[in-house]
Amino acid sequence: MRTFLFKRLPSALAVLVAASFTVFLMLRLIPGDPATTLAGPDASPATIAAIRERLGLDAPLLSQYVHWLGQVLAGDLGPSYAIGGQVSELIGDGLAATVQLTVASLLLVVVLAVPTALYAVSGRRRALAGALRALTTGALAVPPFVTGVVLVLVFAVGLGLLPAGGHASLFDAPDLAVQYLALPALCLALPSAAILARYLQDGLERALGEDYVRTATALGVPRRRILWRHALPNALPSAVTVLGLQIGQLIAGAVVVERIFAWPGLGQLIEQGVSRRDYPVVQDLLLLVVAGYVAVQLLTDLLYSWLDPRVRWE
Amino acid sequence: MTTISFPLAAGSRSRNRYVAGLRTWRGVTGLVLVGTVALAGLLAPWLTDADPDAQGPQALAAPSGDHPLGTDDIGRDLLSRVLHGILTDLSIILTAVPAGALIGAALALLAGTSRAADLVVQRLFDLVLSFPGLILGLAVTAILGPGRWPVVIIIALAEVPYFGRQLRAGVLVQREREYALAARVGGAGRARVLLRHVLPNAVDPLIVQGAVALSVGVFIEGALSFLGLGVRPPEPTLGSLISGSVAYLDTDPVLAAAPLAVTTALVLGFTLLAEALNRGARS
Amino acid sequence: MTELIDRPPLADRPPSPTAELLRVRELGVAFGERTVVRGVDFALAPGESLGIVGESGSGKSTTALALLRMLPAGGRITGGAVELDGQDLAGLPEEALRAVRGRRIAMIFQDPMSSLNPVLSVGRQLDEALRAHGGHRAKAERASRAVELLELVGVPKAASRLGDFPHQFSGGQRQRIMIALALAHDAQVLVADEPTTALDPTVQRQILRLLARINRERGTALVVISHDLGVIAETCSRLLVMRDGEVVEQGATARLLTVPQHAYTRSLLAAVPRLDAPSRAAGNSTPGAEPLLVVRGLAKAYGPRRRRSPALESVDLDLHPGETLGLVGESGSGKSTLARALVGAHAPDAGSISFAGRPLDGRRARREIQMVFQDPYASLNPRLTVGRIIAEPLIAHKVGDRAQRQARVAELLEQVGLEASAAARSPREFSGGQRQRIGIARALAPRPSVLVCDEPVSALDVSIQAQVIDLLARLQRELGLAVLFIAHDLAVVRQVSHRIAVLHRGRIVESGPADRVVTAPEHPYTAELLAAVPSLPTPTSGSLT
Repeated sequence: MRTFLFKRLPSALAVLVAASFTVFLMLRLIPGDPATTLAGPDASPATIAAIRERLGLDAPLLSQYVHWLGQVLAGDLGPSYAIGGQVSELIGDGLAATVQLTVASLLLVVVLAVPTALYAVSGRRRALAGALRALTTGALAVPPFVTGVVLVLVFAVGLGLLPAGGHASLFDAPDLAVQYLALPALCLALPSAAILARYLQDGLERALGEDYVRTATALGVPRRRILWRHALPNALPSAVTVLGLQIGQLIAGAVVVERIFAWPGLGQLIEQGVSRRDYPVVQDLLLLVVAGYVAVQLLTDLLYSWLDPRVRWE
Repeated sequence: MTTISFPLAAGSRSRNRYVAGLRTWRGVTGLVLVGTVALAGLLAPWLTDADPDAQGPQALAAPSGDHPLGTDDIGRDLLSRVLHGILTDLSIILTAVPAGALIGAALALLAGTSRAADLVVQRLFDLVLSFPGLILGLAVTAILGPGRWPVVIIIALAEVPYFGRQLRAGVLVQREREYALAARVGGAGRARVLLRHVLPNAVDPLIVQGAVALSVGVFIEGALSFLGLGVRPPEPTLGSLISGSVAYLDTDPVLAAAPLAVTTALVLGFTLLAEALNRGARS
Repeated sequence: MTELIDRPPLADRPPSPTAELLRVRELGVAFGERTVVRGVDFALAPGESLGIVGESGSGKSTTALALLRMLPAGGRITGGAVELDGQDLAGLPEEALRAVRGRRIAMIFQDPMSSLNPVLSVGRQLDEALRAHGGHRAKAERASRAVELLELVGVPKAASRLGDFPHQFSGGQRQRIMIALALAHDAQVLVADEPTTALDPTVQRQILRLLARINRERGTALVVISHDLGVIAETCSRLLVMRDGEVVEQGATARLLTVPQHAYTRSLLAAVPRLDAPSRAAGNSTPGAEPLLVVRGLAKAYGPRRRRSPALESVDLDLHPGETLGLVGESGSGKSTLARALVGAHAPDAGSISFAGRPLDGRRARREIQMVFQDPYASLNPRLTVGRIIAEPLIAHKVGDRAQRQARVAELLEQVGLEASAAARSPREFSGGQRQRIGIARALAPRPSVLVCDEPVSALDVSIQAQVIDLLARLQRELGLAVLFIAHDLAVVRQVSHRIAVLHRGRIVESGPADRVVTAPEHPYTAELLAAVPSLPTPTSGSLT
């Protein structure tokens, strides 16, 4: 496994460096000059020049990039242009809320998908299995912003069971926090859960058609045990890969879901940053997301290699 | 049975199998859903006289003879906006998905030429994929600003690595098959083996990917519009119609119903088509 | 392990007609509307061994799977009974059947790699087999039994290998593990479906001896399904011949192989190449004096730069015009690497290939040296018509215009014994043997002087094998081709070759006139290969006519 990590780590780092450079270059690709933007419409050329010097914008591109990376590693991200305040503080404020949301939906994804897939291939109650299959197709087909709207319509507007939006601290008021969390987490989790369920089910069906399952049947291993102990370990590695990819979808989907449910996370921040052209905020947030996602991919690969001995021993 | 007991050469019969997949209930339902929505969009100029952008005197009107679905918050005819919204979405995804597929396929073929090219192309796909879904859209919008073309570019760019990886995998598998070696031994050059022998046997999975990509395209357009970063108003899109209705959910839920239904039907249709094609291919 | 075993029983244990362990009555199996097995009827006494032989499509494997009622999806038993100790398995409820499978009747399969679970350790898989009917045996007890089983089937250092996974074992060891699984509960009947088809001859011999020993020492009744009469002759005292889903003939192996009654059995026996038959190559053509193709010091290694594993160490080879050189080697010997280097599919790391006195370049190789492949299914592009497949080399070499190419394709099709109308059809409309003819026509298209045949008949049924070999011989006679005939089956190679070269771990260990290499091998490895060939008793004179 350690050799596997060493083999995989360089390409992950390469992607990270390439992505960070891309993100950095974005700022330079934009028509207009960040210093002008930062200084505002009425600033004098002298002010702009001063800002430019302060931000190091007159230095060569590569040294600017290195400078920025240094800032990022030191955790000091400088001031935002349009939103106001320090970028690190803005990110710090939203991070906890977003992590809560994505982790909660990740748990929901697993809890919803795994039993669904196992049940669908268990061969019992075909009608229910068929219904579950139709349900996963449905969940796949509905965009999260539609699901969100419908969930609000039904649970908040119609039934009045849960709040339509907002956020409470998990530490100060746990019960309230869970109520606020329920709808956005479910909305975010549904499409990913459907995809995971579908992949896991396909993987299980494929495994159940393999020769080694025929062997187990010929040995008299009970069907239930074949499913859990023989087919599942074979379907799990690729399901883990799909789950890893879905974590990316959860991070991305959070932007929309946070908007629908007025969830004060990073999604709101990045959306504001983009629409108000606050480049430092956008740039640093993109880097954070990409770094997080690359790390998740790396973890997924490690988990895969741990689950599949053929890769583990390579 | 000897070693050749199951003479099912991969790639053979595949076109027929895809067609057979479309003849299942999934395929037919998918075709009907997509066909109906697409037809409604294409016939928009004939189905309604109302200008989708013309503001009428009455905002949030109930359905009536003049306005079969009522009007929106600034008095525009909802039916006309939904129909023209379909048209906008279709024109976006039908530009973006083929573009993404072509670029992805071209890169995959480039990867097939040498080991170094393969490495570069793979890292390129990794780079695009390291911006998950909508985040890529936000990054592009941050540079280009909102608008129709940025949406097209975002969807195409997001699909490039999926098409590319799929074709690359297919090329790698097919290239190792004996018929490819046979073509090489018979005197065909590398390019001819790749383009005339390997590629035709490796493209079929892209059909399924295409159906998936179309539904993802609708997702992305909708999400960007929802965030106010999509096609600029007043041009209607399915996403902008839904996001415009959110504010009136508790008072006028009817406003959301029509675009919701149409979007769901379209995406469901594409999803069912993808499933039907996939099942056909695997049967 | 193997020294424990001497020759397996042939006819020394006659079937006892009274004690029936397994009784199959009028068994019928259908897939959908298509009947694939009908009226199969046989009995098996405790400790007896029965071989079922037949060509592809004969229904022999379906019969085997039907014994445990394990037919693939779509298949069902349409009639008859499978009685194990008087209990009809065909009508048993699934749960009762499960209690029988693996405990009283067990099965091993053709491909041990795909038949073992790749993500479970061997110890786990043995444990699964043991606990399937184990009652409440303690874990430690099961573990020690697992070691016992592995030792029984001859896996060295069994105790230390329980934690290993299937891919860490060799092909032969994997099949031994499969047998260990099947023996977990000392089943009374062991059904082996093509147990050695995926294995090399020397490994095949070890596995067959293991099965024979289990049959003899443990009294496990054996049912062996094979397309290879030699395999059955080595292991089974009784033989049953199937064709088109029906039993053609059954009886004691020794008698059936020497005095076959049925015409089909006779034709099957006649088609089997025999190691003791002298080479027929001399009667076919006389090789030229000057070598056409000269290979010196050819070497090739694969793998990442730091851990390259050599496929060819250093190969010297001469091939004369009009000569057939048989190249014999087991998997991993480097024979495919050699074939690919000769046709210019990849460049060797070292060494030289010269053709007609001049160093061979890629362009020339692709005209003068053509190749016939092993797999008649994978080697034809499914997207092209037969005519296009054959014309491809002509197009690549820019030979003739469209009409001339069409005429050439028709000529080639006729040359290999197919109708000219085949050109318009898709390769999937043809049988394996016909596809191999199409592959040969393609190879002949650019008028090569050397034909490299990489296991050209090993995927074909014996009767088809004989036809393709005859075709190759006729083509050599008519066109004066030099042929490099690569195969693992020594009997076939002796029959077709003027000379034989033996490839072992990337080196030619022996070469010489075909009959001499077979009758008086000089290298111990050649002798080992020869000893591994299953022997068939010689039919009584006249019985095959």
